[in-house]
Amino acid sequence: MSKSKNEMAPVHPPLPPVGKWLPIVAASWLVPGAGHFMLKRTYRGALLAASVVLIFVIGLMMRGYLFEPMSGDLLTTIIYTGGFIGNMATGILYFMTKWFGYNQPDVAGHTVDYGTKFLVAAGLFNILAIVDAFEIATGRKE
Amino acid sequence: MPKMTLSHFEVTLIFALLISVVLGVVTKRTDQERIRYGLKSFGYFVLTVFGLSWLMYLGHR
Repeated sequence: MSKSKNEMAPVHPPLPPVGKWLPIVAASWLVPGAGHFMLKRTYRGALLAASVVLIFVIGLMMRGYLFEPMSGDLLTTIIYTGGFIGNMATGILYFMTKWFGYNQPDVAGHTVDYGTKFLVAAGLFNILAIVDAFEIATGRKE
Repeated sequence: MPKMTLSHFEVTLIFALLISVVLGVVTKRTDQERIRYGLKSFGYFVLTVFGLSWLMYLGHR
């Protein structure tokens, strides 16, 4: 016999007040791993912070390009805006890099290209960390 | 900041290692599951790298 829709849907506890999870999400975005530290998940926070920082630094050492939002044809818009969002997701790492005047042009070459991908990947790693911190803060995960 | 030049293989291994750590930490519930998932994920990445490398090598012969 098939189960009804309600029986199959995952049961989540009700969302706690914004004040309880928003500071954690904001901290997680701004400083990789900070949300986990605030939630007393120290070693998981340390692993996430180390992974995000390491991949970002390697990206910088390979002289990766930091995206600027750009419009034009659909593919250009998706790549440049998506890349910009990915870069921004690293929080303080992105802002510090900009403040210190890092300005690498988008040149051809496999090393620079890998660097660019690493810088975006650091942001995507951090988005995973933010979602994890959100789920812990709202009681959906331990 | 010093400049770093890595080969394709080194880059993929570093990426596989770091993404496996992150996936292990965020997806599973117990430490044992996390370690097992991270190692499995890293193994699959490495296998895929070798598989695709051979595929490209044979495709270009």
